[in-house]
Amino acid sequence: MVPFSHILILAAIIFALGAACAAVRRNVLMILVGVEVMLNAAGLAFVAGSMRWGMPEGQIFVLFLMAMAASEVSVGLALVVYLHRRKKTVDVDDYDDMKG
Amino acid sequence: MQKYITLILILPLIGALVNGVAGWKLPRRVVAAVGCASVGASFYFAWKAFSLMGGPVNFKLGDWLSVSWFSAPMEFHYDALSATMALMVTGVSFLIHVYSVGYMKDEEGYARYFTLLNLFVSSMLILVLAANLPLMYIGWEGVGFCSYALIGFWYKDTANADAGRKAFIVTRIGDVAFGVALIWLFYFAGSTSISVVNEQAVGSMPVSTATFIGILLLFGAAGKSAQLPLSVWLPDAMAGPTPVSALIHAATMVTAGVYLLMRMFPVIHLSETAMAVTAGAGALTAFYAATCALAQRDIKKVLAYSTISQIGYMFMGVGAGALTGSLFHLLTHAFFKALLFLTAGCIIHAMKGERDIYKMGGLMTKTPVLFWCFLAGALALSAAPGTGGFFSKDLIQAATLAQGSAYFTTLWVLSEVTAFITTIYIFRVVYLVFAGESGPAPVKTPRLMTVTLVPLAVMSLAGGMINAPELWGGTQRLATILASQSLAGSAHVTHEAFVQAVGAFLFAAGVAYSHYIYAVNPEARVKRAYKYPGLIAFLNSGWYLDRLYNIIFVTPYTRLSVFLWKTVDEAALDYSFDSAGTGLAKAGTLLRASVTGRASTYILAVLAGAAAIMVFFTWSAI
Repeated sequence: MVPFSHILILAAIIFALGAACAAVRRNVLMILVGVEVMLNAAGLAFVAGSMRWGMPEGQIFVLFLMAMAASEVSVGLALVVYLHRRKKTVDVDDYDDMKG
Repeated sequence: MQKYITLILILPLIGALVNGVAGWKLPRRVVAAVGCASVGASFYFAWKAFSLMGGPVNFKLGDWLSVSWFSAPMEFHYDALSATMALMVTGVSFLIHVYSVGYMKDEEGYARYFTLLNLFVSSMLILVLAANLPLMYIGWEGVGFCSYALIGFWYKDTANADAGRKAFIVTRIGDVAFGVALIWLFYFAGSTSISVVNEQAVGSMPVSTATFIGILLLFGAAGKSAQLPLSVWLPDAMAGPTPVSALIHAATMVTAGVYLLMRMFPVIHLSETAMAVTAGAGALTAFYAATCALAQRDIKKVLAYSTISQIGYMFMGVGAGALTGSLFHLLTHAFFKALLFLTAGCIIHAMKGERDIYKMGGLMTKTPVLFWCFLAGALALSAAPGTGGFFSKDLIQAATLAQGSAYFTTLWVLSEVTAFITTIYIFRVVYLVFAGESGPAPVKTPRLMTVTLVPLAVMSLAGGMINAPELWGGTQRLATILASQSLAGSAHVTHEAFVQAVGAFLFAAGVAYSHYIYAVNPEARVKRAYKYPGLIAFLNSGWYLDRLYNIIFVTPYTRLSVFLWKTVDEAALDYSFDSAGTGLAKAGTLLRASVTGRASTYILAVLAGAAAIMVFFTWSAI
């Protein structure tokens, strides 16, 4: 039986890695990957909590999380394809039209 | 009995459905046959039901509106009044349908025409036979709609469509009053059934309430029947096809107002004020319209004003309590006015669309049938002794005189003056159109059109037999039937012989006068016309009533609309929303200076924010 705190620490590490990936990388695809990693880290924390307190809600939350992540990725990838068509690049720093 | 009444109601509706749904694909002959046959069969059953009628019949066909405390079933009431009306409506409609087959022969929209005509007949029958007020209102609005659609039948000409809209809007003003009266009566009696409302009213309605309701009903009826102050739509309604003018705007629909007042007579009768106002409005309208008819050049407009005037007599009759007289005049008027309109249609057809009576002449020898038919109608309209119009008009006038008060005596004098003017204006048309030699040669009229004139001419002349007075050795059949179901009103007729003598004298004087100015000495007439152009313009425009309404209602309304559009909408509302939009856009441009536009910055900011929140919560937990 893995202690609860270990799982939480693992989830925190994975979350930090995902956040770093999303913040540091310039490639849109890699940012999306980072976001996915963060989402799954949160899911891991949910499952751990569910196991710790013997409540099924945490697992149900993870199912929702997966469905949401799937739809988010499909929309996100569609946007990436669209952006790539516009500027022939997937580097986020090239999309700085909002700059005043 | 119930079977017959159901058939009377449903046959024209079936005709309208068939022609309305499939008419555009059917050949013209079939459309015409369906249109005429449905109304003809309806007339046959109306006759059958009339001959079998014993007493009032009330029967329910089905539920319509039903909420806990409110119900208005599909219930019909067949008594002497509605039976007579149904018989007249179906009979005249049938003749006019047959006439229309000839009249509309070469027109577009043949199926649309017959659909609307059949729909009109069924709405009119619902109006007449309804046992409760909401159902009557359905018929009331149905005939209004058909009238609107048929006035604007040739809608490609904007003037015709405008005339239709005018008729619709002006009658709608009256309908509002009718609607208010309807709700008030329901509020008072707790029931929508006409007989229950009447019974309750006689038992316990205060006089002041009856006055208000009576005047509201009068206003509603005035809209439908083109009485003052809502008379302005009928002359314009002549833009429609002539058979429509004959059917809707002379014989049937415009008498719906009179019918409403007769149905609700027990309520109106409670208030002397309402009765006096009804009689006064009728007498005044009769006089007003007769003077207007004197100066019209369009043959159909003469007849339109004449219709307004004759319905004024019917209103006066209701106001004097002479329901028999009003219904009698309604019937004779339906025959002779339909006859006059249909003959006018034939004349217009023969003159290739010319409607100005001053451009006609000499038709007596060229079209003798039309002459004799028109003369029959003119004699009945001007109340020549022995014709239908004579007996019915005198019954109303005698009842008015018999009221005795100074007010009603004044109205009686006014109505006799009107009778004199009536003779002059109709014989003016007779002389200008038929006498003399000038005028273009007529083209041949279709046989189907002239054939229908004959029964109407016979009914116009012999219509008095429906209710021949005892003075002339008659039996007063109509009065007997109505009285047996206590629908005869409250009038007691005295001085009948005196009134008839006055009527006969005025008729003779009127004919002699028109003969003098239109046949013997036309130069004097022309000279006089040049002397008083203002008076002629005043009468020709209907006492400038349209102009008055434009000043009082239309112009202020247009001004208000322009104010709301230009000042309130465009200047105030649009400007404030536009400036809010530009303000936000400017604020956005200013804020853009503070952003880098780099996605990574935003992500870092989000993460920093999340970290700050977590730190805060952790801190507060410790």
